Amino acid sequence: MKFQIEDVTVYFPYDHIYPEQYAYMVELKRALDAKGHCLLEMPTGTGKTIALLSLITSYALSKPSNPIKLIYCTRTVHEMEKTLAELKVLHEYQVRHLGPAARILAVGLSSRKNLCINPSVVAAENRDSVDAACRKLTASWVRALAMENPNIPTCPFFENYEKAGSEAILPPGVYTLQDLRVFGKEKGWCPYFLARHMVQFANVVVYSYQYLLDPKVAGIISKEMQKESVVVFDEAHNIDNVCIEALSVSVRRQTLEGATRNISRMSQEIERFKATDAGKLRAEYNRLVEGLAQRGSLPIGDTWLSNPALPEDILKEAVPGNIRRAEHFLSVLRRLVQYLKSRLQTENFEKESPVSFVASVNAQAGLDQKTLRFCYDRLHSLMLTLEITDTDEFLHIQTICDFATLVGTYARGFSIIIEPFDERMPHIPDPILQLSCHDASLAIRPVFERFQTVVITSGTLSPIDLYPRLLNFNPVISRSFTMSLTRDCICPMVLTRGSDQLPVSTKYDMRSDPGVARNYGRLLLEMVSVVPDGIVCFFVSYSYMDAIVNTWNETGILKDIMQHKLVFIETQDVVETTLALDNYRRACDCGRGAVFFSVARGKVAEGIDFDRHYGRLVIMFGVPFQYTLSKILLARLEYLRDNFQIKEGDFLTFDALRQAAQCVGRVIRSKADYGMMIFADKRYSRHDKRSKLPGWILSHLRDAHLNLSTDMALYIAREFLRKMAQPYDKTGASGKRTLLSQEDIEKMSNGSADDVQF
Amino acid sequence: MSCGQESGHHNMCTVEHRALEKHLDVSKKVLEVSPPEESLSPAEGQRRMTLLQQDSELAKLHKQFVFGGILTEAEFWATRKKLLDGDNNRSSKQRMGFKSAMISDIKPLADGRTNKVTFNLTPEIIHQIFAEKPAVHQAFLKYVPNKMSEIDFWTKYCRAEYLHSTKNAVAAAVEAAEDEELAVFLKQDDILASEARRKMRKVDPTLDIEADEGDDYTHLPDHGISRDGIKEVAESQSLYDQYKRNLLQDLNRHAAVVLEGRSIDVELGNTKTVAEALARSKQEELANEASDANSNKERLTRISRMTEIDDLQAFPEPPIAPLCIKDPRDYFYSQQANALRTLGETATGAKPVNYHTTTREAYSCIRESISDIKSEGIHHSVVKPGIASKVLNSLTHNISSTKYNLGRSNRETVLDRLPSMTKEQLLSHWTSIQELLKHFWSSYPITTPYLSTKVNKLKNAMANVYGKLQGIKESVQSDLRHQVSLLVQPMVQSLGGAL
Repeated sequence: MKFQIEDVTVYFPYDHIYPEQYAYMVELKRALDAKGHCLLEMPTGTGKTIALLSLITSYALSKPSNPIKLIYCTRTVHEMEKTLAELKVLHEYQVRHLGPAARILAVGLSSRKNLCINPSVVAAENRDSVDAACRKLTASWVRALAMENPNIPTCPFFENYEKAGSEAILPPGVYTLQDLRVFGKEKGWCPYFLARHMVQFANVVVYSYQYLLDPKVAGIISKEMQKESVVVFDEAHNIDNVCIEALSVSVRRQTLEGATRNISRMSQEIERFKATDAGKLRAEYNRLVEGLAQRGSLPIGDTWLSNPALPEDILKEAVPGNIRRAEHFLSVLRRLVQYLKSRLQTENFEKESPVSFVASVNAQAGLDQKTLRFCYDRLHSLMLTLEITDTDEFLHIQTICDFATLVGTYARGFSIIIEPFDERMPHIPDPILQLSCHDASLAIRPVFERFQTVVITSGTLSPIDLYPRLLNFNPVISRSFTMSLTRDCICPMVLTRGSDQLPVSTKYDMRSDPGVARNYGRLLLEMVSVVPDGIVCFFVSYSYMDAIVNTWNETGILKDIMQHKLVFIETQDVVETTLALDNYRRACDCGRGAVFFSVARGKVAEGIDFDRHYGRLVIMFGVPFQYTLSKILLARLEYLRDNFQIKEGDFLTFDALRQAAQCVGRVIRSKADYGMMIFADKRYSRHDKRSKLPGWILSHLRDAHLNLSTDMALYIAREFLRKMAQPYDKTGASGKRTLLSQEDIEKMSNGSADDVQF
Repeated sequence: MSCGQESGHHNMCTVEHRALEKHLDVSKKVLEVSPPEESLSPAEGQRRMTLLQQDSELAKLHKQFVFGGILTEAEFWATRKKLLDGDNNRSSKQRMGFKSAMISDIKPLADGRTNKVTFNLTPEIIHQIFAEKPAVHQAFLKYVPNKMSEIDFWTKYCRAEYLHSTKNAVAAAVEAAEDEELAVFLKQDDILASEARRKMRKVDPTLDIEADEGDDYTHLPDHGISRDGIKEVAESQSLYDQYKRNLLQDLNRHAAVVLEGRSIDVELGNTKTVAEALARSKQEELANEASDANSNKERLTRISRMTEIDDLQAFPEPPIAPLCIKDPRDYFYSQQANALRTLGETATGAKPVNYHTTTREAYSCIRESISDIKSEGIHHSVVKPGIASKVLNSLTHNISSTKYNLGRSNRETVLDRLPSMTKEQLLSHWTSIQELLKHFWSSYPITTPYLSTKVNKLKNAMANVYGKLQGIKESVQSDLRHQVSLLVQPMVQSLGGAL
């Protein structure tokens, strides 16, 4: 359908539209008009992504003189694939209705690991070794050598891509990662470098958060994005965590040992160069004397991870004299590593601010702040000079330099925490020195400043006024939408006790109670016998899941559960988890049904949908609080209290409940879908916890469902499933309309668009 | 297994079912005169037997021709290969899947008095072990029976299981160090890991969590926050890790195997054959995968289907089942209603009726006419009686004529009116004539003496039927004789053609 929102003709690839999608578009359009940032919470299962894509592409089409670019950031690669698949549908529709004028270029961008098509490179085990294997074939000095000596291997795809020069472009269209690989194979061009190149010209770029938020990556990929871009952070409920993680580094004993090895390897290289090719070292020195570590742009194959500090905080001046010579720099690094080693030998927990840490480095190792600050640039320059290609071997020294640069750059918003062992396993010595960022607004500030509109959206942004404080920005629009439902297709319940009326909870003192484990087991057992198709269970942590599954196995509950449905489990091994998910889907597809055990805050909770028959019930066992004794968490809470006036308890509850809401929200995809959500913990019945849930869940949480036992929940589940099995009127005949056609929209915009209230 | 049909020209037919035994002497005689004989596997015989039991008409024919000596057993079935094959598929016994529950029988049982534990392994369990633990499967193929006996093998396996059940990784490591074969059972399964990598290539990209890890530069080693109370404590890496058993992994593996189902179809008695069959089926699977090029495309279409929001667009057309009228009468009866409706419409004339009345208007109209009738009664009849009776007649005529002209095909109506005796005779003659003619014409050109004797026999039988048909024609009552002769006509003609 196509309709007008003020001056923009919106092309929407479906015959109908949900009223909240329409309202969402209206708000979004206002933000685009105002060239400001916005914050929009819309329930999952209301087609948020397609509404976003549809409005922004239509907006760009309606203003051809100054088209805006869309940078769409997703949390995960699989979400990226999903977004691009939706965009494909939309693009086909727009081209069908507008002709070739509507053609756009949309690319997804990922790492070499996911895009490389050179079989010898991509066979490497992990991301870092793929990157290194690629550099071994594509670095400028390797290629220069290969010109003279044909026995030196290069990458045919990269060579072809380089040879094609400016010819090498992607024709308009929507390219998923798979499409890029296919296109690359067809043409014989490297899809990774092609995609990186095309990112500048594409109308829509889809990539993961860190390509904008993490300066290490953003410095390479997103340097040249135009200001007239709309940046969208989808599923942004965890964006503050991504931001602080992007600026945090930790140092362990293994890191230091590895760094020592790296340093000695580099000093050997330096000796070798001195003997054979001293000119290169001298040239580097001269370059450093003249000015910056790097000038101009490197050949595309030479780029490596960028400076860990934010671009505006990087000093644009000459590298200090004491680290210009390669040997001097190495000795600086040696002293730094030595100092860090001595700090790791502590017996007690220590917490320090960056300022005092830098002071003590200066006092004990004789390194001043400026030297520390230039560590990253100097290392990078040295590695280029030494023509090091196996970058995966040099990650340790890279870590140390990242640490030094960050600690030298930022005086506030960070703290340094040294722990001799993990709080939870005090008997195992594992000293760690962490530079942890507490201020989420640091990493995201450049994004807010650079781009005219930043859209932060998710199904769970409650309380919505907290995010502007955490991220320190002023949204022009900040709105939370509720869900207009044709029928009550979601059924949240709070289960506080088992059939034996004993309370259930994952509270620390009750967690190991066998009665709780049994009651949780009975709950699942009863549910698998009633609920058809897929059931998803979320636990508060891996260790808790492991413990409870073992208990269920020993008591025989697991066996009984498996009589009804197959059981699949998320583990810490991503390959195994992926296969388990794939099998889970197949089990649901064939009608047999299955149970998936997963972890809140885990990879599955982050972005896998359990819509339709893949999830008719989701059980959240416990409240997914963070481990509150964690030193880093305590430091962050303290920072939040001092700087943003956010109370510790409030933040913890907010954080736990957004995770819980995120978990249970995965079951709904559209209004034709239906699903039940059980919050199995007595603490959910308390108002202060419950009220932090997003409005669209709360509005369906009836008072009668607030304090249930297993048998009552079972009864409700039966009733609910029976009700959902009945045919119903999709358009919502009784009073409120939940599905709008083109005519409805036209009628509405003739009147006032504002009188649609949700 | 099904060597019966293909390996055609062999000696004796060994049909062994009771129904045939009665006529054994006859069939023996038949067999003597018929050169192309076949050896019949008991399974094949059984299959024919069940077919005959299920289909009385077929049994009748069989009795008439085979026992009557007109056709041989082989000839009779030769024209019904399809039936046999179809039956073959249907009767192949349903494959049982694996049990959903994990193998729990393999838990050691201690008798409490001695220091001995007992394990029970059934063929079923062994099969499941092979399917879930490729390393054990491979070891079995490698070691048994060259290096150790089967009993020894399983004893060793059970020892490993026992070690696992004690959850003592260190003890397991010590034992494994001493015994190379035991180590196979105790260590992590390498084959599983390589299989997992292979399967990853086929995974739906919208589920691929591994791809994320490849894209995540924030979590370079030692970057990001490592100990903030969100991330789990990494299990300490120790030397004994590979001897630890992970229940979660086992559960996933088990569910995957159950989902895949049983891939082999052999009796479970002999462990060796099971192991070999499993190895073969795995190789086949590998070969299939290599040739499976368009699975990728399929995957993509599946994703695009998944992304669509179903209730925002019109429902896709439901798949259409082709029209298949089993009994035409049902169809024509239902058409009657339609016919009546058209008639009704023509009777009211082509007057355009304004359907766009509002409820209010309709209501007021009805009220008016009701009050009219109340006050005046029905003075003016709506139609004149003459016309009414005419309409009625034409309507009823229409009904009866559709019933007799359209509703039933001629033959059936006639057949219904015949005495049941005659009807059945006619029908059975009809089928037997068809059978005879089929055989008769299929014997042309007559090239071998065998065929000529067959044709002669068939001719005799046909002449026989011919006479019987004449008999029927004469036996029926005079009013039906015409109908019957009409029916018999095509039969006689086709027979005449042959004779």
